[in-house]
Amino acid sequence: MATTSTLTQQKKPERSLSPWQIARKKFLKNKLAMISSVFIILVTLLSLAAPFLAPYLSSIPDVSKVNISSMNITPNSEHWLGTDKSGRDVLTRLLYGGRISLLVGFSATVLVISIGTLVGSIAGFFGGVVDSVLMRFTDFVLNFPFLVFVIVLNTILMGIVDGLWVLIIVIGLLSWGGVARLVRSKVLAEKENEYIMAALSIGCSPFKVIVKHLLPNVMSTIIVQATLIFASMIVVESALSYLGFGVPQSTPSWGNMLSSANEPDVLQGKQWIWMPPALVIIFTILSINFIGEGLKDALNPKSLR
Amino acid sequence: MLKYSIRRLLGMIPMLILISIVVFSLAKLMPGDSLSGEIDPLNTNPEYIEEMREKLGYNDPLPVQYFNWITGFMQGDFGKSTKYKTPVAEVIMEKIPNTLFLGIMALVITYILAFLMGMYSGRKPYTIGDNAIAGINYIMLAIPSFVAAVFAIYFFAFQLNWFPFGGSVDIVVEEGTPEYWLSRLHHVLLPAIVLGAMSTASYTQFLRNDIIENSRKDYVRTARAKGTAISKIYNVHILRNSIIPLVTFLGFDFAALIGGAIITETIFTYPGIGQLFLDSVSSRDYPTLMALTMLLSFLTLAGNLLADLLYGIVDPRIRLD
Repeated sequence: MATTSTLTQQKKPERSLSPWQIARKKFLKNKLAMISSVFIILVTLLSLAAPFLAPYLSSIPDVSKVNISSMNITPNSEHWLGTDKSGRDVLTRLLYGGRISLLVGFSATVLVISIGTLVGSIAGFFGGVVDSVLMRFTDFVLNFPFLVFVIVLNTILMGIVDGLWVLIIVIGLLSWGGVARLVRSKVLAEKENEYIMAALSIGCSPFKVIVKHLLPNVMSTIIVQATLIFASMIVVESALSYLGFGVPQSTPSWGNMLSSANEPDVLQGKQWIWMPPALVIIFTILSINFIGEGLKDALNPKSLR
Repeated sequence: MLKYSIRRLLGMIPMLILISIVVFSLAKLMPGDSLSGEIDPLNTNPEYIEEMREKLGYNDPLPVQYFNWITGFMQGDFGKSTKYKTPVAEVIMEKIPNTLFLGIMALVITYILAFLMGMYSGRKPYTIGDNAIAGINYIMLAIPSFVAAVFAIYFFAFQLNWFPFGGSVDIVVEEGTPEYWLSRLHHVLLPAIVLGAMSTASYTQFLRNDIIENSRKDYVRTARAKGTAISKIYNVHILRNSIIPLVTFLGFDFAALIGGAIITETIFTYPGIGQLFLDSVSSRDYPTLMALTMLLSFLTLAGNLLADLLYGIVDPRIRLD
């Protein structure tokens, strides 16, 4: 009898969860992070579907043309959020604006993370002269007053390349310094482990060691950092557009929409024009930050939650 | 300490040269005469432009031009503003007091808020009050300053009429009178609160954690054993030790304030350096723009240096490397 019971035990071995499964479990339990994720997914889907939704949402689906007959309408059943001073439907613009703001935020984040990871991992892995040259360069980039140079570079490049991509490239090229420093410090700690020496001793190329062995182990840090950078990139985009130095004025983005609050009569009397983009920006940034915090908790094996 | 400071100061020189080269290259990439502002942009006569270019040395090799520009710059010759038709140095000097006033007020507000909240949280950690403060701080940190500024103008200037919504002083008051200074203070308060709230969160949380950490130390236990009043332990013994590391934040705040001032000044139409900077971009006043870029880069660099030096004073171990 005893033998059969051990057999059934062997049939169902206790499989422990993989680190990623543990992280997922922890993240799903985090209420704030889950609500935030749902919100972000909703905003993203609605923004992506803007061209399909626009005709159903209002009778004036065009967001770029000025429409004199429908200026400054207060919110009603036809225009849920009213229309702005050029007679464009605010809700439709909000959805189209989401496309631009999220696209700029996402692309800039990808750029920042790619450059930062590349520079940081090379500097950390090779050390010596390579490290000091790359890190001095990183210091140099970090020493620029960010906003000042973004605006100056944007002014020079505007007109040479399409406006949206100028913005993405400029803010991407000026903000990778922090990521590079972070990745470098993680790689420096990680490369002292025996498995790296083992990989090197069996003849793996440095490229392979970095990509296959080092990066997966610093990935959790990079993912958390990417989330937080995504939030700050959306802030940068909307702040620049708000000031009139970001996305071209004709393209709707959350920052561009908010810039109508610069006119005292809109700010004071026509709240439906500027409040929706302001609130969407605040909730998006908060949600992304909550997701970032949730991921940080979930990916940290030492956290107890 | 002196040796360390000198080494850090010398280390700044190559950084400054590199930044000046970048600024010079950017100026050369800009259309027209962006360094001196002597060529009248409205006069399109090619002979006039050619004559002026020759006179100003724009046909010299680039390194010579760079050298001439940087020597002039170091002697305070920033060129001539194409918008105001006066030397850039004068235009900038006129705005500096306003920005300085705003920056100092913002710092004062940051310190007041951070001390009140941080000391409360540190003294009563993990209570409802502490959690509420942490929540408020988190939201303050996450809300972008320009959105906060728009809401601040809407609620406090338009709805409640507590503050004026723009400018730096009432036009009607006479300069030098007490009313003049009160009016200036009244105008600077709202932008300073928005600017100051930006960095309050990090100060508060740092102070809180430091106070909690310190309250477990031996000297606190000794003080308690002697029968010292709890409030005295917190307000004198612990606070004195917790303030010191906070000093290092000042340097980083410098850089943050520069970026913040550009946004806040523009939204509040407060006539300072930040507003002048954006104004010079939109009015294509390139000499002013380039001088300001150089100036702001220098200030950021100085802020980072200050942070490093303060670190060195607070924590002597850092000086060794």
